[in-house]
Amino acid sequence: MIDVVIEVRNFNAYYGDKKAVKDANLKIEKNKITAIMGPSGCGKSTLLRSINRINDLVPEFKTEGEILFHDRNIYDRETDVYSLRRRIGMVFQRPTPFPMSIFDNIAYGLKLIGMTEKREIKERVRWSLEKAALWEEVKDELDKSALKLSGGQQQRLCIARAIAIEPEVILFDEPTSALDPVSTQKIEGLIEELAEEFTIVIVTHNIGQAARISDYTLFMYQGEIVEQNETTKILRNPTHEVTQQYLSGKIG
Amino acid sequence: MNESDARKVKNSDSVNRGRRSKITLRVITYIFAALILTLFLFALIPGMRYWSWDFFTQAPSNGMTSGGIFPAILGSVLLTVLSLVIAIPLGILLGIVLSEYNLEYIRFVVTILSGIPSVVYGLFGLGLFCITLGMRTSILAGALSLALMVLPVISSSVYETMRAIPMELREAAYALGARKSEVIFEMLVPSVRRSILTVSFVAAGRAIGETAPLILTAAVFYATNLPNSLLSPVMTLPTHLYFLSASYGESARWMAQGTTSVLILFVIIVYTIAFAFRREKK
Repeated sequence: MIDVVIEVRNFNAYYGDKKAVKDANLKIEKNKITAIMGPSGCGKSTLLRSINRINDLVPEFKTEGEILFHDRNIYDRETDVYSLRRRIGMVFQRPTPFPMSIFDNIAYGLKLIGMTEKREIKERVRWSLEKAALWEEVKDELDKSALKLSGGQQQRLCIARAIAIEPEVILFDEPTSALDPVSTQKIEGLIEELAEEFTIVIVTHNIGQAARISDYTLFMYQGEIVEQNETTKILRNPTHEVTQQYLSGKIG
Repeated sequence: MNESDARKVKNSDSVNRGRRSKITLRVITYIFAALILTLFLFALIPGMRYWSWDFFTQAPSNGMTSGGIFPAILGSVLLTVLSLVIAIPLGILLGIVLSEYNLEYIRFVVTILSGIPSVVYGLFGLGLFCITLGMRTSILAGALSLALMVLPVISSSVYETMRAIPMELREAAYALGARKSEVIFEMLVPSVRRSILTVSFVAAGRAIGETAPLILTAAVFYATNLPNSLLSPVMTLPTHLYFLSASYGESARWMAQGTTSVLILFVIIVYTIAFAFRREKK
């Protein structure tokens, strides 16, 4: 029996009158990597950003249907959206380090979860940087501004910041699209390792990336999930015509 | 001419155009810099020869023909410091609130307020502080009027600084589970605090040279005593300058020049402080 962490049911999302996600249904399995793939504008980011309700910040954004996190609809009125976001972390397309020191970037999140003891904060900063494979590179300059790091390092810092508060799920929104190939490779390796402890959903329009790291793939087109399956199956045997066209490079 | 030659010609053309516009821009910059420099030199240098110990420490005497401008310096320092102490914290807070909470109407009002001529603030201060609240012509009434005047300027600058922070950073903080106040006061504000201080001081620099509101609310032509409380009237540098030029002739010209250069020195000091905030600490 599979262990479902998140279940999306008959979910629709709108920006004003424009429907961005149409009747989405999917299950996300614990400790697996689920890739959401599709051409730009297909609604994949909208779907992802609905899972931690970060899109609530977008004016005119509306939803219908349900997204269940451990069987509770996160769009229920009584949901505490702040604690939801602590349990479902997110890493964005472009690295978003805060303009403060490397240490403070991570400590910021720790203070949010109520951690006040200095020793504990220090340990957790180190733990998360090690997990994000950044510790060796920055251990002597934790006071340095995070903005001085390279793009790839900044993105790993953002990953460290996300895992420091120990979420269950981490959402990645095209995390490598702004990075060079070497940094991309490091981050892909990292995401695979993280799947041992966290449940991961990653939006990508890079077929190779989905193939390399994901267990499941769902393919979206014009707001609809047209196909979802194990990644190996979907890449080898796409059943839907648009998926075939996308995989062969005819649309994208 | 084959295709690649054609491309070369085209390229060198656009390179030349780039170089020409760069030179033009540079010349324009130098012309403006020279104008500003001339202004400074003509206003600052001639007055500096009257600087002396007495000029900075004595009150004017013998019908403005001797003595110094100490009471005016003191008055200006008191008024500037007091008005900034009031206006900077409030202005920063207002700017932050306007930027992070959806208050378009209030921002519209603030924008209009920052464009109102200073003499109107003087009249307003005269009516409200001096007469209605019974402060009469005093340091307090003047500082409050000045503070009111620079408050919208400060908050508009702070508003712009806050708006310049990318939305992505706010999202990243929210994604960690931060509440709005935790995003604003523990992430956004700390990360731009130096810029905020700089823009507030630059905006507040306007307060130093203001004459009109002070004539109406705080300044007197000649104070026999130094102020002994916030409710005393004072002399100030800009109003002193105004009175000297308006009511005295040649005999006080030296004092007007000296006062002008001290005023400019003041402005330079305040702006130096403002830009010192911006410098990264090592």
